[in-house]
Amino acid sequence: MDVIKTKNLTKYYGEIKGVEGLTFTVKKGEIFGFLGPNGAGKTTTIRTLLGYLNKTKGEAYIFGKNIEDEIVEIKREVGYIPGELNIYGHLTGKQFLDFFSSLRHREMTLLDDLLKIFNIPLDRKVKGYSKGMKQMLGIIQAFMDDPEMVIMDEPTSGLDPLLQQKFYEFLQKQKKKGKTMFFSSHILSEVDKICDRIAIIKEGELVALEDVETLKSKSGKKIRLKIKEKPESFKGPKNMIVKEGYIEFSTTDNIDKWIKQFSKFTVLDLQINDFSIEDIFIHYYEGES
Amino acid sequence: MNSILSFKIAIQTVKDNLRISLILIGLFGVMAIVYSGMFPAFKDMLTQMAEAGGLDPFSSFFGVAALEMNTFVGFLYLEMYQIFILIILAIVVGFVAASMISKEIESKTIDLFMSNPVSRKQIIFEKFIGLVPMVLIINFVTMIAIMGTTIAIGEELNFSYLFMTHIVLIPYLLSIVSIGILISVIIDEKMKGSIIMIAAIVAMYVYQTMGQMISAIEFVKYFSLMNYTNLFDVLKFGKVDVEGFIILCTVTIVTLIIAMIYFEHKDIKI
Repeated sequence: MDVIKTKNLTKYYGEIKGVEGLTFTVKKGEIFGFLGPNGAGKTTTIRTLLGYLNKTKGEAYIFGKNIEDEIVEIKREVGYIPGELNIYGHLTGKQFLDFFSSLRHREMTLLDDLLKIFNIPLDRKVKGYSKGMKQMLGIIQAFMDDPEMVIMDEPTSGLDPLLQQKFYEFLQKQKKKGKTMFFSSHILSEVDKICDRIAIIKEGELVALEDVETLKSKSGKKIRLKIKEKPESFKGPKNMIVKEGYIEFSTTDNIDKWIKQFSKFTVLDLQINDFSIEDIFIHYYEGES
Repeated sequence: MNSILSFKIAIQTVKDNLRISLILIGLFGVMAIVYSGMFPAFKDMLTQMAEAGGLDPFSSFFGVAALEMNTFVGFLYLEMYQIFILIILAIVVGFVAASMISKEIESKTIDLFMSNPVSRKQIIFEKFIGLVPMVLIINFVTMIAIMGTTIAIGEELNFSYLFMTHIVLIPYLLSIVSIGILISVIIDEKMKGSIIMIAAIVAMYVYQTMGQMISAIEFVKYFSLMNYTNLFDVLKFGKVDVEGFIILCTVTIVTLIIAMIYFEHKDIKI
């Protein structure tokens, strides 16, 4: 089942392109990574999906409901953690959560569990919270009524590594329950760690949409080799470079072919690695292969 | 539908404005006591001025009420209602209303707020409803303060007419609130919106007085909401301008609907 389905979704700010022609689906129960540097159109996409911005053209459906006509119904099943968290400073954490609970009209089934994971001073006014505490409060409000999907825009910013780890574990638990997560980030290591599929957005357009593992396998292997002989004597593929005495190249060929080639030389060091999300991301952004 | 009837946003708006409401209730209550309590000190001087025709020049600017400034009703209307209620209270209420939505946008709290299952129409409607208690309480506390002071200084005032006056003030103040909310929806900077609101109220007062003074441009007074209150007639004769009352109610409703429609189509850019 498709939780999010967009077709040619486009948003222009007057003459300026926000996003254009976005067509993708997010499936139920997956953690969908949405990657792109600042200004690529990640937040515009999210804000258009959630009805903050009116789309210029195209279509988008969440849980089969049209974002244009049924956004209130959609929001009953969708939690949201904005990229820039601004919470009413004059309220205490408890008052804020009580207010938001009253707007959701649902039982806050996950609230106690979340408060055990994210320990925040609920009786203190939010204006006295640190960035990390505000982020935790943002996470709690998004998940407290156990929505079917949570859209997150850079959700771990401000969290220390320990809390980040707890958050990833919490997301995996939610995933096992069949919940869907739309995870926008530019922290590639976390996307690599938790996402099932990723979309890469560049200048407002999708440039990649694939399973993380498929994307990695399609990208091939990175080979780094040091030989006793002159590096130039090794005939590698077109993308081969020599850097600090190492021969470096990537290949999607059968690795055995290259091992046989290496055996003709005196190998001092050899590293064969899969592509990381970071390598793939750089490939799309800088044209490196 | 249930969420609209629960008025959670309205209740939160009341709580958020509680401090400013209490300050304003105290301020206008005290003002009402001071201004109505001042009358005995000016009574003789004003009576002498009236007998000598000294009040006549004021009538072209302040209307027929100026000719009766030596009476408690005339004094109350000119000093209390025309200045402190129709202008100052309207400015204060308008100032608060004109930042209702823009302060959420400016402080970016709108982002999380709108992630809840609430429609934009509901937000506007409940923000409006959330300001109504403040308006009503200030309005009626002022009335009670005037009643108490009237009894204390031994002046005569028809309390039924006084009550009717404060009933007529409700649609006037609510129309100011709805105009303020419309401004707050259009202008994203709260201070700019509030200043525009103040300018609009001052402009309405100028239109009202200019329209009264210069017959050639009498029509400009119809652009002023104050024109539809006719408080002096209510306070002195108990005569309510029903047409004006309906116009003020209509302005309130229509402005609120425009604010809802505008907000519905507005891009919330952060």
